[in-house]
Amino acid sequence: MIKKIKVQDAVGTKLAHDVTEIRPGEFKGPAFRRDHIVCDGDICHLQRLGKDHLYVLDPEQDEIHENDAALILGEALAGDGVKCEGAPKEGKVRLLAERDGLLIVDTAALAAFNMVEEVMCASLHKHTLVKAGEMVAATRAIPLVMKRVPIDRAAAIAKQNGGTLSVKPLRKAKVGLIITGNEVYHGRIKDRFGPILTEKVRVLGSEVMGIDFAADDPEVIGKAVRAHLSKGCDLLLLSGGMSVDPDDVTRHGIRLAGATEVHYGSAVLPGAMFLVAYIGDLPLLGVPACALYHKTTILDLVLPRILAGEHVTRAELAFLGHGGLCRDCEECTYPHCPFGKGA
Amino acid sequence: METFQELLASSAKAHGHLCPGQVVGVRMAMLGCRLIGLNDPADHSQIKKLLVYVEMDRCATDAIAHVTGAKLGRRSLKFKDYGIMAATFVNVETGSAFRVLSTEEARDLVPLYAPGIRGKAGQRLEAYRRMPDSVLFRVQRVRVPVKDWDLPGPTRYKSICSRCGQIVRDRREVVVNGEMLCRPCAHGAYFQDAREITWPEMNWAPVSAGVTRELHPKRPLPAPVETKEKRGIGPSYAEVPPHLRSTQC
Repeated sequence: MIKKIKVQDAVGTKLAHDVTEIRPGEFKGPAFRRDHIVCDGDICHLQRLGKDHLYVLDPEQDEIHENDAALILGEALAGDGVKCEGAPKEGKVRLLAERDGLLIVDTAALAAFNMVEEVMCASLHKHTLVKAGEMVAATRAIPLVMKRVPIDRAAAIAKQNGGTLSVKPLRKAKVGLIITGNEVYHGRIKDRFGPILTEKVRVLGSEVMGIDFAADDPEVIGKAVRAHLSKGCDLLLLSGGMSVDPDDVTRHGIRLAGATEVHYGSAVLPGAMFLVAYIGDLPLLGVPACALYHKTTILDLVLPRILAGEHVTRAELAFLGHGGLCRDCEECTYPHCPFGKGA
Repeated sequence: METFQELLASSAKAHGHLCPGQVVGVRMAMLGCRLIGLNDPADHSQIKKLLVYVEMDRCATDAIAHVTGAKLGRRSLKFKDYGIMAATFVNVETGSAFRVLSTEEARDLVPLYAPGIRGKAGQRLEAYRRMPDSVLFRVQRVRVPVKDWDLPGPTRYKSICSRCGQIVRDRREVVVNGEMLCRPCAHGAYFQDAREITWPEMNWAPVSAGVTRELHPKRPLPAPVETKEKRGIGPSYAEVPPHLRSTQC
C-alpha cells in the first residue's frame, strides 16, 4: 500500500525510495537514499527538488519494493561473465563485465523480459568488446511497489539459456597468415596486409605464429594452409584473392586444403567478398582486399566472434546486413558507431 | 505422457494440419497437467481425475483435448466461449486448478525467437517451439467450484420445458416468471424458424433389430434403463410423459 503525505508532514518518516538530484552539467545522483528518516532540515531541500509530497510505504505481503525487485532482476539477467554491481542506486542495478571479452546478449530473451510491463533492462549491443568492470547493462523495476509475481516471471524469462547477458572470453589463438597474390609473391609490390592483420590479431590478445606468401595457385594456397596447420596454428587468416577475377583463387585453395564448410560472401560493406571456412572445427577467414584501405571492415565484426568460440555460418554473415554499411567517416570512431550493430 | 514431439505429431494428425495453434495447445496442456500433478492424463488411471475448461474454439482447443484426453461428451472438457486463449486444468481429486493463458506478447516476439525463417506461419510455429514456458504463458492459480451436475457420469437431473415439452438435462433449465423453460424457449436460440419436417427414407437404420439378434444370439436386448435420481428441479422421470422419456444419459 502506498500513502501520499505532504512533505511538511514527513518529518520522522522513512523515504520510500532514493530521491534523485540533478544539477545540469554538474551532478546527477541520489540526494537522499531510501529509508532516510526525514528531518526538519530536509524539507526545504526536498521542496527545491520539486517534492511537495512524499510516499509512505506499507507493502502488502505479495508486493515488492523497486530496489528488491531490481536486485532479483539483475541477478537473473547476469549470465556467465556478468555480475550485479551490488545495491541498487535510484532503483537501478548496474550489470558489469566480470572479465574482458565479447558481450553476448540473448536478444530474444531481453525482448521477452522487457515485454513484462513492470520491468526494463537496457544493454550495450551484443558482440561489443568489453573490459572487466565495464557496465554492459542496467535494469530496474518501473513502479515503486509492485506485485511480486511479474518480477519472478521476468526473472524466469531472464534466466532462460543461462542468463540473458554473458561475456565470453576471447581465446588466445595461434594464428597463421597467408598472404596471397602473385604481385606480392613475385615481389612486384610490397606486402602491406601482413602488418595490418598482425596488429588486428594482437589487439585481440592472440598471436601470429607465422606468415606465408602464396602465388595465385589453388594448389600452392592449399599447401600453405596445410603447412600452417601442421605447425599447430588454430586459426588461419588468408588475405587477397577473394574477388571475382580469374586470378582470385584463394577460396579454391581453401577447398583443396580440405575445408568442410565454406561460406563465401557477407552482407557487409566493406567486406562483401569475405569468406568463413572450417576444416573440422578450425576456422579459416578469407579477408578481401578492402581491409587494406578501410580501417574497419567485416573482419573487425567477425574475428572477435570467432575468438569467442562462435561458429559463424552463412546465417551470421547474412544477418549482419542490417547495420552492415560503413559510413566511411573521415575519422573512424568504431566501435562507437552503428557499424555492424543491427544484427 | 508422450514427448512433446510425439504429442504434436499425433495432435496435428487428429486436428488435420500442423499449425502454430497446435504447438501452443500441446504445450499449454503439457504445462497445465504438470501443474496439477497429472503426468499421463489420457491414461485410464488418470482420465477421471481431470477437468479442462477451454476458453476458445481455435486450433489450440483440439490440441488441448488431444493431449489431455478430455472430451466434451465425457463432460471432462468444458467450453467457455470467452474468446480468450486460455484453458484451466482442474485435478478433481485434489481440487488444485491452474488457468494457463497464452501471452499476447509471444506473437510480437516471434521474429526474435525464429529469425531467418521464411513464411509467417512457419516462423510462428518454430518460435512457439523455442520460447520457454515463461514467455509463452502466464499462469494463475484459481479455484473452480464444480457443481455436481457438471461432473462426468450419468445424468443426475432432468426437467421438462413447460413451453415446448423438451427434456432438459443437468439443470440447464431456467425459470422465467415461475415457468420452467429450456434455454431456447427462454432466451432464444442460435437457430431460427424451427419447423418439424419429414424426410425421404425416414425408416433407415444401420442395423435392424432382427439382424442384431442374429449377430449376437446370446446377448439379450438391453432392457430400458430408468434413471434412479429423482432430485431434479423439474418433474421426476416417472412424471415425464412416456413419449418424452429418454433412456440415454
